[in-house]
Amino acid sequence: MGPDRGGARGDRRPPRGVALSSTSLVFENVSYAYEEAAREAVSDLSLSIAVGEWVGVTGPTNAGKSTLCLLAMGLAPHFFGGRLKGRVVVLEKDSRELSVIQRSAEVGLLFQNPFTQISGARERVDDEVGFGPECHGVSRLEVAARVEEAMALVGISQLAARHPMDLSGGQLQRLALAGLLAMRPKLLLLDEPTSQLDPAGTAAIFDVLAGLHASGITIVMVEHRLETLCELCPRVVAMVAGRIIADGPPDDVFNREAVQLRVGSPVFTRLAREAGLSPPWPVRLRDATAVFGRRLA
Amino acid sequence: MRFAYPGGVEVYPEPGLTLTLGSGVTALVGENGAGKTTLTKLLIGLLRPSAGSVTVAGLEVAKITVAAMARTVGYSFQNPDDQLFERTVQAEVSFGPRVLRRSAEGIERGVAWALRACGLEGKEDVHPHDLGLSERKWVAIASALAGEPAVVVLDEPTLGQDYPSRERLRSLVRELDDRGRSVLVVTHDMDFVGEACPTAVVLSHGRVRYSGPTSKAFADHSVIQEAGLEPPHVDSLARMLGLSECVSEADVLSAWRR
Repeated sequence: MGPDRGGARGDRRPPRGVALSSTSLVFENVSYAYEEAAREAVSDLSLSIAVGEWVGVTGPTNAGKSTLCLLAMGLAPHFFGGRLKGRVVVLEKDSRELSVIQRSAEVGLLFQNPFTQISGARERVDDEVGFGPECHGVSRLEVAARVEEAMALVGISQLAARHPMDLSGGQLQRLALAGLLAMRPKLLLLDEPTSQLDPAGTAAIFDVLAGLHASGITIVMVEHRLETLCELCPRVVAMVAGRIIADGPPDDVFNREAVQLRVGSPVFTRLAREAGLSPPWPVRLRDATAVFGRRLA
Repeated sequence: MRFAYPGGVEVYPEPGLTLTLGSGVTALVGENGAGKTTLTKLLIGLLRPSAGSVTVAGLEVAKITVAAMARTVGYSFQNPDDQLFERTVQAEVSFGPRVLRRSAEGIERGVAWALRACGLEGKEDVHPHDLGLSERKWVAIASALAGEPAVVVLDEPTLGQDYPSRERLRSLVRELDDRGRSVLVVTHDMDFVGEACPTAVVLSHGRVRYSGPTSKAFADHSVIQEAGLEPPHVDSLARMLGLSECVSEADVLSAWRR
């Protein structure tokens, strides 16, 4: 990482195309406490996510998952204040060096509560979707094209003329995602992106994310539904009380006892354990079908 | 029963909704916009039907004030931030029974029970907005329970909840059932429906598509698909293995062992 570890100042960053060129998000021994908070929300976090990865983050309440997203976006500490130790490097730039507005040109954060995301400054859904690129000085023609594309992608084209505040929770969540996509981000941070959607809507949004992943966009996604996480994400980070307790392919992560005890197990893993099958236990439907089917045969 | 929002969007089309919810624990499921939350608001009188009537525990909702309805129905909102306004968890949870003028000991008993059932013991003095979303959700649920109402309506209680919290929720609805309360759970979490709710109502585009035991709710895949639902994970596994009518983990294990 070069000699300026912890310093984060000056022009001694590694040249482009060398050390950091393939990373999208790097946490180096990051600890962070919110203003006036007695304890740290995350402690000694080290994590490196390569460009194009789709990483799922999970863990119980107060694990530090949302804080991880806020740190990557720069909202912590730029907006929330608080105490930050260590280094957060996003798309090769130290988070201390860029304002959140600069950061938002390349990084999109979908908040846990979509209501938080809506600007309140626009009276139509389509205008709201275009709010981000407009603020970044994208031309009107280009904004219009991006708005149309983003609305179609998340399935809200028919809501274009509605007032954002009249939407349901699920519609609002789609709108918030469309607003991010209109920015054409390189890194998407998604804090429970489908929590308000019905199962069909959820599947549709995950299809959109799979498409973005295929096109090379890096996705970091907080998700409680472990079955979903295991189906979608080639890599899972499990957090407990502000620390990472496991990081790897879902099959490895959810076969660890500490994760099963402190984070939980996908239903298939739990069933295989309860049925007395020998580990490693399956984490996905198709693997569970194979494992249980073999025993039935 | 029919209802239209101002502006004319008819939620339950001709001839209107006819539905009887029994006692016990019932899941209300269906796609975004199916009319689930609207239905719950009609149950507590926050909305009034434009035709027909809604009767809860023998009371015709339209003839009673929302405040009086609160004696009978405890309601926790989908978004806890729509509901919470006090400065401490204790004040928030005791607000309901206080305005219902319950006796001091009734308030104490109801609040203590609700805090314990919702895992909020030790957090009584915390400001609700210093809690994370999932804990605020629990404060909203505790507030709905503290008045010890006969009917409890929970709108999306599993939203943002981790696995231990979902387990807590499961034992909570079981305890409510044991205490003879009726519970209506609005949710998109089909695993939770299979594990915790013996009866299910499937609503789609304002119409009842299914009402009956949860074990048979996922049998007709065309209904499930139309209502924007997916069967519980255990149901998918059971089908792949040729086992039938499994909606809970216990169902799969016993069917598989046979």
